[in-house]
Amino acid sequence: MFARLVGESFVRNPRRKFLTAAALVVGMAVATATLTVALDVGDRLAREFRSLGANLLVTPQSDTLPLEIGGVDYRPVDEGAYLEESEAAKLKSIFWRHNILGFSPFLDVPVLVSTSQGGASAATLIGTWFEHDVSLPGNEVFRTGVSVTHPWWKIQGRWFREDANECVLGSTLAAAFPGRFAPGKMIYVSAQATGKGGSEETIPLFVTGIVSTGDAEDQAVLVPLSVAQTLSGHPGEMRQLYVSALTKPADTLSERDPHTLSPKEYDRWFCSPYISSIAYQIRQVLPGTDVRVIRRVADSEGRILSHIGTLLWIVTLAALMAAALAVAATAATTVLERRSEIGIMKAIGATNTLVAGIFLAEQLMLALAGGAVGFGAGVGLAWILGESVFGAASSLHVVLIPVVLGLAALVAIVGSLIPLRRASHFRPAPILRGE
Amino acid sequence: MMFGRLLWNLLRASRGRLVVALIALVSGAAVISALLNLDFDVERKLTQEFRTLGANLVIAPGRDVQSIESGAESPTLMDQSVVLMQVERMRTEEVVAAAPYLYIVAQSAGSPVVVAGTWLDQTRKLSPTWKIVGESVATRDDLTHCLVGRDVARQLKLAPGSPIELNYLGRTARMTVAGIVDAGGTEDSHVFVNLPVAQDLAELNSQIGLVQISVSGTSKTIAEHTQQLAAALHGFEVRPIRQVTQAEGDLLDRIRLLIISMVLLILVLTSLCVLATMAALSMERREDVGLMKALGGSISRVVGLFLAEVGVLGAFGGFIGCFVGLALSHWMGQRVFGTAISARWEIFPLTIALMVAVALAGALPLRRLGNTKPAVILRGE
Repeated sequence: MFARLVGESFVRNPRRKFLTAAALVVGMAVATATLTVALDVGDRLAREFRSLGANLLVTPQSDTLPLEIGGVDYRPVDEGAYLEESEAAKLKSIFWRHNILGFSPFLDVPVLVSTSQGGASAATLIGTWFEHDVSLPGNEVFRTGVSVTHPWWKIQGRWFREDANECVLGSTLAAAFPGRFAPGKMIYVSAQATGKGGSEETIPLFVTGIVSTGDAEDQAVLVPLSVAQTLSGHPGEMRQLYVSALTKPADTLSERDPHTLSPKEYDRWFCSPYISSIAYQIRQVLPGTDVRVIRRVADSEGRILSHIGTLLWIVTLAALMAAALAVAATAATTVLERRSEIGIMKAIGATNTLVAGIFLAEQLMLALAGGAVGFGAGVGLAWILGESVFGAASSLHVVLIPVVLGLAALVAIVGSLIPLRRASHFRPAPILRGE
Repeated sequence: MMFGRLLWNLLRASRGRLVVALIALVSGAAVISALLNLDFDVERKLTQEFRTLGANLVIAPGRDVQSIESGAESPTLMDQSVVLMQVERMRTEEVVAAAPYLYIVAQSAGSPVVVAGTWLDQTRKLSPTWKIVGESVATRDDLTHCLVGRDVARQLKLAPGSPIELNYLGRTARMTVAGIVDAGGTEDSHVFVNLPVAQDLAELNSQIGLVQISVSGTSKTIAEHTQQLAAALHGFEVRPIRQVTQAEGDLLDRIRLLIISMVLLILVLTSLCVLATMAALSMERREDVGLMKALGGSISRVVGLFLAEVGVLGAFGGFIGCFVGLALSHWMGQRVFGTAISARWEIFPLTIALMVAVALAGALPLRRLGNTKPAVILRGE
């Protein structure tokens, strides 16, 4: 009997049910979409922030101070310590290896650059990788280089090939010799002051492109690492290693000194991708090195990420509230509109509990159906949002299904409870009279 | 006159019922105005946040062909008076900080070290992420105190308060270490002194190597600033630090887009919610409309009366909602950015107009009553 009453109500007045369902669908769609985006946004933005490039710098624990101005080391090549190039692959063996998005080695050599028409000029030669295949244990190959760690570098022409005597010129350097330092020409470089075993000879390099970096590299010659190693007489070595790692914004735990943490806190710290724990893990696999957090990048990233995270949660909360209001308002209206129906039911002997039961069962069914459709629509909406904002679709969060359905049911029931309570005070006669 | 009195009585007589609608309107308007206010301000707030990235513009001496041909040592220097005068002249509100730099390689305790002569009062603003142990140097005229990088301090065993001697070609500067800088970058191996100290040490009077500027704003403002400076400083190289400007521009666009789309969604939803409430309210007015028509009121006049009623309601709800919304966005600003979000007064007309429009749209079904006979309405069909 109860089920028939509820069922009849749907068949008899589909238009009115449709309105409530529509409100539910829209409300829950927005709730789903904003929740999905808010859940995803941390990871997404953290990845976007990697366009700032490397956030960790590995240098040898050297006995002399680096004489670095604007990213170029002015120390002679035979001074200071070096890192082994082969050690770099160890970065992909730490606990958070999947968060290491890329790394690139740097080796600076002061050189004299000349063209076939002569005219030697002093410049810095920087050896690095553009896209280098690093072989990892287990026959894996990891492709990395400045394309990942310095994504803002713009190339005209093409990058050098790793195995060839090719180079890319900094834009300022190239502009100083229009026509002579240009793609397609040959330049000749020789080390200014060679270290022990450094090559005395002049190496011809084919210019493949002009790079604009907006930094000191604009005045340098960029070559494959192996060429710089030969010139400086340091085969298989490098001065610096820039690392770009995906991290979690700093919080109170990550700010603390790892030595003062309790074992449990230490485990939590070690197993969170904080920039400090990743730096610590790199130091463990590369003993004898100094792993510095490039604070300018890492701190800004952390600050902005956590602020935007809070902002989005507030906006999501507002969306949830708006959705709840919309659904509750429609639910309340439905009950009010059916006052005369309630009057009749009560007149022919229905108890308040029965009336409330019928209405709540209806609302619950509507909420579940509307919530399900709304969830589908919301996933679509989140997909469009993710596509247009980040260029990649948001992932589906199955956890949200019970959350959204529960929310829909709760809101619809709470929304109808208040008018139903009022309806329980109705006396049937005045209602039926139309008062 | 009559219309006004009728309207007043109408509003007064059904206070209880109107309160419900008013609550819906006020909360809708509050959410909308808070988000709109936030959206207007979020770009400015975010660009300020991005200033923790440090300098995004650099003025360097133009590298001319002769100096390269002759194999001369780069970097060349530039005259501080010309450059700094132009920089000061161009200084607008968007310029967060600007400081000249002169780098020399001096000797300290027998080992070479990079000494950066700059304005120490500006460096804190230029690099807000520096962590300084000890004191920072407050003025650019302090010629006895310096800041040393973390690596220098470790190498030379310095602590805040210890003396340091810098030698350059026989000249000596004796300074006191004020603080130790942990910058997480190349600055960790530098010694920072005020500009005149470095200039005297190197005998490079009024010469500087480069100027770093931190400009807040979108990539457009930064580009404009670069162009203006480049035009004023002919023969010098004015370049944006691409690592900072490009990432900043990309990220800002994405974050803005994200927030705008979320705000739009909520806007639509809130409007729908208010619309539903207003529609319910108007439908309850059916019988009143019927009665007035039966008494001989023309339909346009009667419907006009009710539309005026919801219009007034919408305006009033929007007005109150705006105040609530501004308070809300103030709180959000405190919570998210640590500083208040300034109230934008254009929010008021915008929100009120939206609320009135939504309220009127909700009442539109009343117009349909014009075709119905009063008797039918009064019978309750």
